[in-house]
Amino acid sequence: MPPIVTIRSLSKVYRQGEMEIAALDNVSLDIAQGEFLSLMGPSGSGKSTLLHIIAGIDRPTSGECRVGGVGVTELDDSQLADWRNQNVGFVFQSFNLIPVLTAYENVELPLLLMDLNGTRRKELVHTALELVGLADRARHLPKQMSGGQEQRVAIARAIVTDPKLVVADEPTGNLDSASAEAVLEILRTLSSKAGKTVIMVTHDPRAASFGSKTIHLEKGRLLDVA
Amino acid sequence: MTIPGFLVRNAFRNKRRLLLSVLGIAVSMFLLVTLMVVLRELTQPPNDGGSSLRITVRNKLSLANPLPARQLPIIEKIPGVEAVMPLTWFGGKFKEDEPLMWPQFAVDPRKFRKIFGEIRVPEDQYEAWVKDRTSCIVGRDTFKEQKMHIGQKLTFLSGIYPCSVELTIVGVYEGSIDDRVVWFHHAYLDEALGDWGKVGDWWIKATNTETAAQICPLIEAAFANTSDEVRAESERAFQLSFVSMWGGIKLLIGGVSTAVLVSLLLVTASTVSMSIRERFRELAILKAIGFQRRELCAFILAESFGLSALGVVFGAGGAWLMSRTMDIKSLTHGAFVSFEVTPQMLGTAALAAAALGILSSVFPAMSVARMSVVEGLRTLD
Repeated sequence: MPPIVTIRSLSKVYRQGEMEIAALDNVSLDIAQGEFLSLMGPSGSGKSTLLHIIAGIDRPTSGECRVGGVGVTELDDSQLADWRNQNVGFVFQSFNLIPVLTAYENVELPLLLMDLNGTRRKELVHTALELVGLADRARHLPKQMSGGQEQRVAIARAIVTDPKLVVADEPTGNLDSASAEAVLEILRTLSSKAGKTVIMVTHDPRAASFGSKTIHLEKGRLLDVA
Repeated sequence: MTIPGFLVRNAFRNKRRLLLSVLGIAVSMFLLVTLMVVLRELTQPPNDGGSSLRITVRNKLSLANPLPARQLPIIEKIPGVEAVMPLTWFGGKFKEDEPLMWPQFAVDPRKFRKIFGEIRVPEDQYEAWVKDRTSCIVGRDTFKEQKMHIGQKLTFLSGIYPCSVELTIVGVYEGSIDDRVVWFHHAYLDEALGDWGKVGDWWIKATNTETAAQICPLIEAAFANTSDEVRAESERAFQLSFVSMWGGIKLLIGGVSTAVLVSLLLVTASTVSMSIRERFRELAILKAIGFQRRELCAFILAESFGLSALGVVFGAGGAWLMSRTMDIKSLTHGAFVSFEVTPQMLGTAALAAAALGILSSVFPAMSVARMSVVEGLRTLD
């Protein structure tokens, strides 16, 4: 498979007063299309920073990051926002659903930015909710759902625009083991059956084992590729 | 779901805060419009149809200085003068310790209807007034408010002149801009004061609007270099000369209005900021999934604008409704005659609300625009 993500000599330095902290130190990496990559490492190892740069929500200090042939680091803020909307799906540890919107409306949210009519939006939302097994919960508010269900709605929101890339930052961190397994199974299915590239940050080796590849980071450097 | 629908959902997420914020803005807008009405009432005396032809002549030194009655024939001869009448404020007390909101003026009843053509009095009552030197006519509002009756005796003790007058009500008038006055014979006042040969000022009716403008300098010239120089001006200018006395009040009301607006701005800005701060994480998510900075800023502006719009609808609308449904004149014992909420006032309140909406959203919008997605996400994870 050709790489969908190409990272070369990527560094990210944070400044705290006069101190410089290297979150990423000269990282180079290729991620193939359809791969389910687990990023592991201790806190502060730079795994979330790497994920954020790949997803276009953070910028490196130096180096290059190309996703699907697009130089993400070269886009301005406005172009990045459009690019994210069409190419990246986000899943977060805390689900981050909008509490005043139903599951259906939460999933519909990214589609409001696209030039789609109501009927098409409805089809896409229903498909996404069916994929995560929550079509029957479409009218429920987040507070009326369990954590596992909320995270599945968040996955539906992430895939509703049919992005090439799904990034998940500790997606099972707030879930019990059964719910975590269901969520990881969905992510694996997205990769294996729908051909999505999934990049997941996790502390949990069991969660990482769902991925097709695992890489470890420590002090901003890549250690190995498993 | 639509973007406006999403905004409405967001606005209603904390109903109690929304209600309190809208109420706060509404009360302030109500106060602002009411202050504008009060200011207008104080500074812009109402006009009536006949005022464009009326001219007042007063002592050049001050309104408190009377004029000699001998000026009458001289004024009458000036071209363009249709009628002249003396008008003297009696400043009487009706009952001890009761503040009077209905003034009494001594006039010449025979000229009265020529000068104040818009006033309506039944013909028989008017004739009775002209005939009886100790009679008076009373404005409909005062007549009703004081539960008076035709034939009733009214005794006024002047606070200006060393005399009192006992008047008999023979008629009730209406149709003027202020139907509260008691009009009585100047001849009776002259007699009570021992033929003092003075009048408060002269009220003149010009033959037409063109001559009205030309008469004033002629009258002033007629008495130039005499011991009683006069100032002649249109009724409108005369009314506005009183307005200058309200300068301090205007300043005070202007200050209070500004304070209301500034405090309202601070409260609204704080409310909007608080509401945005609580949703920083959600706004970061929206940014992550592709919403642009300008769209998020527009959301905040729309929310703030909506809050202000609701406030102005209830506040200014409430003031308008009050002016339409309540008898402010009676409630204020005639202190406010028309108490009209004009379209300009509603427009000003709407503009103030729009400015409030924009200004109070500036800082929250700026902070959201500056916020990076990662920074926003860190507030939650």
